Amino acid sequence: MPRSVRAWLLRLYPAAWRERYAEEFAAMLEQGMLSPLDVVDILLGACDAHLQLFNGEDVSWRLVVMLNKLRTTLLIVFAAFIGFVVAGMALVNLVDDSLMVPLMKAEAGPALAWLFIQIGAVVALLAVVLGGLPLGITVIRRALSVDRRNLRWLMVPLVAFLALVLYIGFMFGIASGLIQVAGVSPAVQPGSFPLGNRLLLAGLMFVFISGAIASTLAVWKVVSRTYVEQATFQAGGRSLSLKIYQFAFAPAVVTSLAMLVMLIATLIWGGLVFSQLPQVFSGAYGPLLMSTRLWYFGIVTIMAVCSLAAILGLVRGRSALTAT
Amino acid sequence: MEPFEFGRFSNPALLILASLAGGEKHGYAIMEDIEATSGVHLGPGTLYGAISRLEQAGFITALPAEDRRRPYRLTDQGASFLRQSLASLKKFVSLGYERLEA
Repeated sequence: MPRSVRAWLLRLYPAAWRERYAEEFAAMLEQGMLSPLDVVDILLGACDAHLQLFNGEDVSWRLVVMLNKLRTTLLIVFAAFIGFVVAGMALVNLVDDSLMVPLMKAEAGPALAWLFIQIGAVVALLAVVLGGLPLGITVIRRALSVDRRNLRWLMVPLVAFLALVLYIGFMFGIASGLIQVAGVSPAVQPGSFPLGNRLLLAGLMFVFISGAIASTLAVWKVVSRTYVEQATFQAGGRSLSLKIYQFAFAPAVVTSLAMLVMLIATLIWGGLVFSQLPQVFSGAYGPLLMSTRLWYFGIVTIMAVCSLAAILGLVRGRSALTAT
Repeated sequence: MEPFEFGRFSNPALLILASLAGGEKHGYAIMEDIEATSGVHLGPGTLYGAISRLEQAGFITALPAEDRRRPYRLTDQGASFLRQSLASLKKFVSLGYERLEA
């Protein structure tokens, strides 16, 4: 029987079942000739596995189902965090070199709200690194030793980062006069923003956002293809066994709460700043001379959606955590 | 009909346990052993449906995979269940013979 047909038959089974049995099942199918009755038997077996899940039966691969659910929760929080980072960068871009900076230096309220945003950003980043590091190491190890196809996907974040660095280098080259591009001014004067410079900045935004999206999708794909119940790490001559999905859950909660705190702080900050600088709010101080109002509400909306997605993801994964 | 050959009415789980009572085996070896000893051909879907249930019941346990194939071993609980099941079958077989000879 052709490999493609065997692979198709396997795909009929639930994903969690495949995580647990696909490899040995495929090895068995390769060993012998399959009769038409065997094919029917496999189809019935796939239906039976789906029915077991549907009926909520206790199955030996229940742990796999639960761990898959937990892994999806972590991926949702990770993707939400990346979305939040993009929105946060847009906020920094809005504030940087604007009339809001002197106000924040003079007024305690906006400064405190901004401090909360900064603390939230650091806490969320540390939590993502703490929870994601064992998982990341394990995924890379597996990609190197078992599934080398994943290495191609793992290259995506590196390529995206390299593209961003090169683009920023290109912009620095223009600013320093080393590179000359027709229609692009090395130094932008206040009140003037040539079309070439706008396009240059739009290009940066495109490279950053598309890189973030592509990297998140690539990480999602690789992590969701790597099933790990437990991983062992060597540190300081000691061996440490870790249930990495369960371990990453607490940092995911911290990340989500930090995102919520940053969202609230951004709302308070916006209220305080724009009530004192209504001309900025109603003006066009966003990147590419876009409306400040539109830019700010866009940022807050993305932050709110990401925070909500992370919290809903955690609620969905909580039952899986207790079950494992 | 060969002894212990009950066609599609054979209990796949019992056949697997009996096969593993003879030693650790992976999926394909279990299938071949059952076919050789009882004449019953277990389809791949039926075999793994039964294996997953036996694992869940704690009657068999999976051992580390060897070149993609994962051997299974009968647990003490599984052996005890197999003994009880065979004893029941033995009683049933004896009763059947008694009635035939009566």
